[in-house]
Amino acid sequence: MNPQVAMDGLVAGSMIGLGALGITLTYSILRFANFAHGEFIAWGAYLALAAGAALGSVFPGLAAPVGPFSFGWALPVALFAAIGLNGVLALGVDRLLFGPLRQRRSSVIVLVMASFGAALTLRSLLEFIFTSRPAYFSKALQIALPLGGGIRATPDQLLTLGVALVFVVCVHLLLTRTAMGRSMRAVSENVALAGCVGVEVGSVIRVVWLLGAGLACVAGVGAGLLVQIRPQMGLDLLLPLFAAAILGGIGSVPGAMVAGLVVGLSEALAVQFVGAEWRAAVAFVILVAALLLRPQGLFGRAD
Amino acid sequence: MTGPSPPVLSTSGLVAGYERDLPIVRGVDLTVRPGELVVILGPNGAGKSTLVKSVAGLVPVFAGRISLDGSDITAIPAQRRIRHGLAFVPQTENIFATLSIRDNLLLAADILPKDSRKSRLDSIYGMFPDLAERPGRRAGALSGGQRQMLAIARALLVEPSLLILDEPSAGLSPKIVAEVFARLAAINASGVTIVLVEQNVRAALSIADRGVILVEGMLRHSGDAKALGADPLIAELYLGAPRPGGASVA
Amino acid sequence: MSLELVSYGAFFLTMALTFAIICLGLNVQWGQTGLFNVGVAGFVAAGAYVSALLTTPEDAARLGGFGMPIAAGWLGGALASAALSFMVGALTIRLRADYLAIATFGVAVVVQLCALNLEAVTGGPFGVGFIPRPFAGTARNPLSFGLLNLGLLAALVAMLYLLVERLTRSPWGRVLRAVREDEAAALALGKNASRLRLQAFALGGGMMGLAGAVQAHFIGFIAPDNYMPMLTFQVWAMLIVGGSGNNRGAILGAVLVWAIWAGSAALISTLFPPAEQARAAALQIVLIGVALCGVLLLRPRGIMGEEQIVSRHVGKPHKAGAP
Repeated sequence: MNPQVAMDGLVAGSMIGLGALGITLTYSILRFANFAHGEFIAWGAYLALAAGAALGSVFPGLAAPVGPFSFGWALPVALFAAIGLNGVLALGVDRLLFGPLRQRRSSVIVLVMASFGAALTLRSLLEFIFTSRPAYFSKALQIALPLGGGIRATPDQLLTLGVALVFVVCVHLLLTRTAMGRSMRAVSENVALAGCVGVEVGSVIRVVWLLGAGLACVAGVGAGLLVQIRPQMGLDLLLPLFAAAILGGIGSVPGAMVAGLVVGLSEALAVQFVGAEWRAAVAFVILVAALLLRPQGLFGRAD
Repeated sequence: MTGPSPPVLSTSGLVAGYERDLPIVRGVDLTVRPGELVVILGPNGAGKSTLVKSVAGLVPVFAGRISLDGSDITAIPAQRRIRHGLAFVPQTENIFATLSIRDNLLLAADILPKDSRKSRLDSIYGMFPDLAERPGRRAGALSGGQRQMLAIARALLVEPSLLILDEPSAGLSPKIVAEVFARLAAINASGVTIVLVEQNVRAALSIADRGVILVEGMLRHSGDAKALGADPLIAELYLGAPRPGGASVA
Repeated sequence: MSLELVSYGAFFLTMALTFAIICLGLNVQWGQTGLFNVGVAGFVAAGAYVSALLTTPEDAARLGGFGMPIAAGWLGGALASAALSFMVGALTIRLRADYLAIATFGVAVVVQLCALNLEAVTGGPFGVGFIPRPFAGTARNPLSFGLLNLGLLAALVAMLYLLVERLTRSPWGRVLRAVREDEAAALALGKNASRLRLQAFALGGGMMGLAGAVQAHFIGFIAPDNYMPMLTFQVWAMLIVGGSGNNRGAILGAVLVWAIWAGSAALISTLFPPAEQARAAALQIVLIGVALCGVLLLRPRGIMGEEQIVSRHVGKPHKAGAP
């Protein structure tokens, strides 16, 4: 394998992994495939773009590129603001749509369909507000640095990869080492029993939305930084996200990340050897292979 | 009932079920006094399980009220009832199989004040030394009897004023059933009020103070466990026929 | 003037009826069987492309066409989509309910990608033209051409309606609905239930393929852009508005939503300057998305509601856990 392909695949895959993490968490707690998750990625990117632009206009100094990176301090600050705002958006959608449906004990498929409607609404809203013209966090050009072994990477690429790994480790620790994580695992196994034991299922659901939307925001900002920001970016990522979540095993944090990297690497390989125009088919091939060979996923247990 | 202290549990005119126009529990008045061990008996489909689930908050209540230690809990959601002292052990899937034994217990301990968690956990490990052996073990790897003990241990961890168990003997071998019942008798003797739904009539009556019989969602009979066990008519009417394929050791 | 209006009316209704066929197919999958297809556009596209390939005159730039009669193209399109549905269904139908949704979503993405990239077969981004139109001989007289096509579509929809109505009321349909409502029954029936659901999924997919073929021949030209996820969304809106599980509702919903869609698109193009039209169109989708979610929340059985075919108690969801 060309080492450069591996590098590009890993960077793209880490963003897929972050998104898949959100899918796998909401799926295992709320028990439905959320087709609107891609839109949280796109919304996260646009919210950070808007927040960064606002910060940059008030404090012009913050917009100047920092060190080797293409962006100024405004972006990291905007990222944290956007994580919060994106969480509010997710909680709002849950309050208006999924919550009432849950209350009514609607079937899984009604929830899936509602998420499908929410996805279209959220995506078109972005298109309405920001138009479908691509946007960028920074116009600055970056030069890829040689890392040895024939691999080159831009500082932005290395930073996003690092940030993604930090977030995955944090989520993993949250899930395995904290009381909230224990409650989340309990709810994902058996909601009714979790209620009997005294777990506040409502707060667990809120935390899951905040986590999912926050990770989606990081993925969106990363993808926006590395490529560009478009209202369709979430839709384009949706199939890779689902493929990674299923390949990794629903509910598995390390699974989602590893599978995200696998999907990213495979896409990079396909671009290299088959052609960029077939990139979008790679996730489908992986999805079909996973469903055929190991529907419970790499890290999942058969029910 | 007028007694020296208020009943631990009392339901009045309780109507509950899954559909409003088809209630399964149809007007139940049940009173459980402190320290009692009451067993709810009745033929299949009588609504025993639905009755205790509605008390635990898992089945919608359409009419009537439930009070615990004198306060009305009818409108309180299931996850808060344990904070009022009501612990419920469901019949199946009553432990978190993917969590470790320790996590199963810690999950329940989360509702206790921080400073008492450790001591409660230690005393539970003292009561159930089997569980203390390898607390990091996945609960799903436990045997049927051990799972039941873990479920009971988890319920007891929060020192409930009322422990409700839905058919704790289901699916267990006679030897293990005897162990579970001996354990329940000991827990009751230590002062915990217990309500039990059972198909395993004789074993249940042997440890119970009182038995109540539910037929078609209504209470038909309530009496001293010893007398109930000896009453041939009642035995024939409601209790005698062992369930086909059921684990009855009567 | 009034003649123009009639021929526009005929054109509008004919388009709406092609959507009605897709809706009837989706209703077999979702309304009757509870299988969620998020890739409707992909199955419609497959039917359209197969039929175009079979019936167009030979083209040096790509594979085929084979110059076959229109009816052969329609049949081929329907069979191709049915086969595609069967394969997707066989892969996922025994897994979690929403894996099927995810897989169908993937099918739509891949079918679109193939349409775009397999230029030697599909003509690539430019699509396929010169698809023979029924009653092409009358094309010089728009009115009779329009009315003849409308008549053909109306007959086709009526035929399919009667077919699905019969199936719905047959033992096959009753078992399917029972399985849809009751997970326990589905489990008890095991493999048998899976097979029935698979049949229903393939049948529904076949109808979508047929609709795609019919649409392609009515317009005479297809391109990958016609089969964006928006198409899936439109069809869903039609079925939800009409009431899932209700075949008459599916047809009515198709006409109604298509009327709203075409009407609001016309409104946007007259009200907004060209530069703002893309944004206005986005807002149109937002409003329809909100409406879809609103119907799910407020009238989950659709505006027409589901026809009560089985007795009331059988149709109700049973919940496990009674003692």
